[in-house]
Amino acid sequence: MKVALEDISFSRGPFTLRGSGTFDAGVHLISGPVGSGKSTLALLLAGLLRPGGGAIRRDGVSSALLLLQFPEHHITSPTVAEEVRSWGLAPDDVLARANLSARANDDPFHLSRGELKRLTLACTFMRNPDLLMLDEPFSSLDCTAKRMTCRMIEERDAGITIIFSHERAVLPRVDTIWEMEGGTLTALGSVPGAISRWRHAPPYLAYALEQGARPENIRLSDAQEALCRTQG
Amino acid sequence: MIRITGLSHRILDIPDLALDARHIAVIGPNGSGKTTLLSVCSGIEEPDEGTVRLLGRPPSAVKVGWVGEFPDRTLLFSRVYDEIASTPRFRHCPCRETDERLRAAAERVGIPHLIERTVTALSGGEKALVALAAASADDPEVFILDEADSHLDAGTAERLRAVVEASTAAHVLWCTQSMDTAAGADYLLFMEGGAVRHHGTPEEVFARLEETCFYPTLWRVRR
Repeated sequence: MKVALEDISFSRGPFTLRGSGTFDAGVHLISGPVGSGKSTLALLLAGLLRPGGGAIRRDGVSSALLLLQFPEHHITSPTVAEEVRSWGLAPDDVLARANLSARANDDPFHLSRGELKRLTLACTFMRNPDLLMLDEPFSSLDCTAKRMTCRMIEERDAGITIIFSHERAVLPRVDTIWEMEGGTLTALGSVPGAISRWRHAPPYLAYALEQGARPENIRLSDAQEALCRTQG
Repeated sequence: MIRITGLSHRILDIPDLALDARHIAVIGPNGSGKTTLLSVCSGIEEPDEGTVRLLGRPPSAVKVGWVGEFPDRTLLFSRVYDEIASTPRFRHCPCRETDERLRAAAERVGIPHLIERTVTALSGGEKALVALAAASADDPEVFILDEADSHLDAGTAERLRAVVEASTAAHVLWCTQSMDTAAGADYLLFMEGGAVRHHGTPEEVFARLEETCFYPTLWRVRR
């Protein structure tokens, strides 16, 4: 299973996005500043936009799903339970998972921002597509919910997971790191080798690298363990 | 000073709180009442019971610059120009002053290149910067930011912090899910279940939260 970007380009006004590379089964993190083109790339990978040049080829991918950055953009139904049904899912399972069982009959827009994000995340993971694209899955969440999201990402045992995020504190274990800057996608390669090349590394990871530590992955616990090893 | 007395509103229950600090960060789990507190302090909502005073006045009598988390919900106009201009226009500023104010605000926030764009063509983070420019266009006395950094990368979040820092506002009340950012505030409120569970300097409050994930990542690795 894989998705390959073959010299794609996409322009809108003065902005041009370019990228090449292959996403194999596993967890891929694409980081980059605001406006660098992360969400546009997510829409291209999801097939919601067509590249102006080049091609995006899917191999062995039978289902794909994009979780949008702003959870309210997913909402199509007047109650939380109906919203879950609109994803083709049974409300009981999803709401238990999202810790929202008591809110089944509420208007989705009466949920808090974090609750709404938990709802769309739970729906997304329950659908368990071959190709899962998560656009800023951690924004709006408190650290407890971010950790839960990391667990859901890490527990996906098959498929391709691509995370578009600028999260700087709570991150999952990932297989590869990519950077997006000024519309250009750059593959940094596999973790742990890619970590030292990662210019957008979160502060705790940058600190560990400065101290000469070599974290095995990108989580806070990886940085702490690596620091313990260097400090004996 | 921000003074809260006998406040009871939706899930909020804050008997008495007086805040002198300039940069006040509000942290806590989703659903703990942070946004409700900010809404009441900004005058967007009237409390069911109790009073809030900013600089000795009710919030409605204070120039408050509000930046929310979801700019899509607060952006009113289709052109960036009109969005930023709306703040001085709503205060009946003359056209020339409105134009000067919006250009100065766009300059401060670092988005003069976006002025002629339409809002729909912007990224999520760019929309947040437009909302910040609109909020700062008439020199607010109090800035209130509701997880405005949630959709921003580190560089943009730093720009937001710098704009707010350099403003003439007497108070900056902001809630954030970044504990590393909150560690830079003068004073912290940790909310849980509608109550202010801990308050004090970042050192004091984080000392109570060390066993939780509500703790700065940099403090963890630097120990």
